[in-house]
Amino acid sequence: MQTKTTPEELAVLRARDFWGALVLMAVSAFFLWRTFDIPLWGGNRAGVASASWYNSAAIVPLSIFTCLLILSVVLLVIAIKAGGAKRSLSGIGIGWNSAETLRFTTIGIILFFYVAGLVPRVDFVACSGLLITALIFGFYKGHAQRMLLAAFVVALAGTYAMIAHLPQAEWGAHDDDGVTLVLWAALTVFVMINAKGDRVLRIVPVLAVAAPLILVCAMAFGFRQNVPNRGGIIFSQIEYHYYVTLRPLWRS
Amino acid sequence: MDFVLTQLSGFGGAFYALVADPLTYAYLITSVFLGITFGALPGLTATLAVTILTGFFGNKIPLDYSLIALLGAYVGAIYGGSYPSILLNIPGTAASAATAMDGYPLAKEGRGGEALGLTTTASFIGTLIGTIALLVFVWVLLLLSKNIASPEKALLALFGILLSGTLMSEDLVVKGWIAGLIGLAMAMVGLDPLLSEPRYTFGWSYMLSGFQVVPVLMGAFAVPQIIEGMRHMEIGKMAQVKGRILPNFKSVKRYLPTITRSGVIGTGVGALPGVGEDVAGWVSYGVGKTVSKEGDQFGKGSLEGLLSSETANNACIGGALIPLLVLGIPGSPPAAALMGAFKINNIIPGPTIDPEIILRVVAIMLLASFTMFIMGLFTARVFMKILRIPQVVFLPIVMVLTTIGSFSVGGGINDLYLMLGVGFVAYFMNLLKFPIAPLVIGVILGGLFDETFRRSLLISGGDIFVFVSRPVASVLLLLNIALIMSQIPFIKRAFGRLRGKVI
Repeated sequence: MQTKTTPEELAVLRARDFWGALVLMAVSAFFLWRTFDIPLWGGNRAGVASASWYNSAAIVPLSIFTCLLILSVVLLVIAIKAGGAKRSLSGIGIGWNSAETLRFTTIGIILFFYVAGLVPRVDFVACSGLLITALIFGFYKGHAQRMLLAAFVVALAGTYAMIAHLPQAEWGAHDDDGVTLVLWAALTVFVMINAKGDRVLRIVPVLAVAAPLILVCAMAFGFRQNVPNRGGIIFSQIEYHYYVTLRPLWRS
Repeated sequence: MDFVLTQLSGFGGAFYALVADPLTYAYLITSVFLGITFGALPGLTATLAVTILTGFFGNKIPLDYSLIALLGAYVGAIYGGSYPSILLNIPGTAASAATAMDGYPLAKEGRGGEALGLTTTASFIGTLIGTIALLVFVWVLLLLSKNIASPEKALLALFGILLSGTLMSEDLVVKGWIAGLIGLAMAMVGLDPLLSEPRYTFGWSYMLSGFQVVPVLMGAFAVPQIIEGMRHMEIGKMAQVKGRILPNFKSVKRYLPTITRSGVIGTGVGALPGVGEDVAGWVSYGVGKTVSKEGDQFGKGSLEGLLSSETANNACIGGALIPLLVLGIPGSPPAAALMGAFKINNIIPGPTIDPEIILRVVAIMLLASFTMFIMGLFTARVFMKILRIPQVVFLPIVMVLTTIGSFSVGGGINDLYLMLGVGFVAYFMNLLKFPIAPLVIGVILGGLFDETFRRSLLISGGDIFVFVSRPVASVLLLLNIALIMSQIPFIKRAFGRLRGKVI
């Protein structure tokens, strides 16, 4: 699986490896320390002798994190020998690319607020529609301003949902559904204004409505599985009409 | 002889049951179509196809049907990767990277239709070779595996992780091993399998049951793919395909030895734990280039080169299922996703697996390869149209699919947090050129390794020589040691010098 890498790419990779190895060393050291909380040498709890060392729940994790620590040190040595340490403190050395950083950061923000903020609290069709619209519009042509706008809209909806209804007991509230729907509609209007004959952007609203709607209905009524936020403003209506209006048609 | 006849009649029964059930065709046609589409779209992979369908079908329909869906998608996706390789010079999946070497030059010469026709036939024959090998070797190995006890299982799991780390690493081998160890470490979270001692749960009850396989798979394979693919890309000019796409039986007959050799290589590579279709394609391509009379034409539009990689990557599927079904060790990353489907259905692949499941898998593979062949010949132009869809359009939908699939497997919102966390870690690992497959193999085999390693020590009263007390265990231990030693620089140099002297 060896692929061709230019000397410059390799130098950048070794500088990144330097930081990667340091992070890995810290993580393995932390978990090694946590592993010592697990009885290893056959402790005695409430008068009952627990397992011997060879049967301890700590023996395998201890070996894993020790090996991880050793391999991290090996990686660090390789990186330092290849000049990674020298390059590691400069942006150019680690191959910092501001356009790529912006792209990753905005996608990271969108995915974080979608999964952590919106999916648990907001109607699945609404939040997924917003996600699809934001991602296609933001990243289709690679414009930085569009990426920022897309991330801002999703972050706004997600932040509102998280601040207004952080505890699980409040996840059933509908005001965050309303906020998300308004933001989705506003973004869709903006996308359509900017579409100007662009076929891809013109189909965004159709995709944004159809894809989550089909998926959530297939999952809930086809496979009879749990779906996120069943009490959401759109899904609760679909579910009601499915069981009260539609289903009796073929059940009777 | 009786044994062979019994197996053949068992297979016949499974095949008839499959063919006689109309639902089979609904699942098969849909899943093979989805698989080819996933394979054909650059940015989506075979592993992703099987992973997403595991989230969707894994535990929602009877296992028999979910196996049809997953295996159909697996076969279709590996074949589908050849479309962009031939027509755009962009491999649709890593497995088709070697296909582009000769496929694109052929398409540029105006022989794209011929290349696609041959690829379809080669993929079909390759899948058949892998399936036949699966039918034959799975029984031989199952008989042998009855003698495999805890020490062998522990060493085999370790060998799978190490081998996957060694062969799947693009950069340093040490990175593959680190990825495998991270996977193993993730498998340690939760209650330990022997004493129910909580490990690394940090007081969070969700963590007591450990990391679930499906969210980890989704996070490791889907999220980095989505982050990486969400960028502006101009679709290259697609090579023109004129006329009908038909198999050229004259060429197939002429290159039958190449097809057979590639099928055997693909199956063999697939049977190695944790090594996927991409390695199979390249190994077969490399062997073909060395042994072929027209080896100097490889990379310039050689039909033999095209057949070498395409037959091998599809043959690899059957091979990858052998260690999965016999030992519970996935032979490739998509097989790891299949393992996830078995796990969520409470089926433990290995020596105790129900033989009917194996026969059904073989029957499904046979039907899936026929479906792929027919679809490849008659609906190729549909997939060529699909190639034009920008990935920025379909990746957001994949994100929604991934979210709902991961959520519905059972863990709810916590599974989504896990998926996202694993996804971000996997993205950074990709940036640093750490392979992801060993991590997933580590997560899947971690529990088995932990349990069998400690059980071996428990049985022997802490005597570590238990790992050399039986012949198979001794061989496996030697293989593990040899694999590690072979990567240590001064030993590598010593071997290099020794080889120089011998030559």
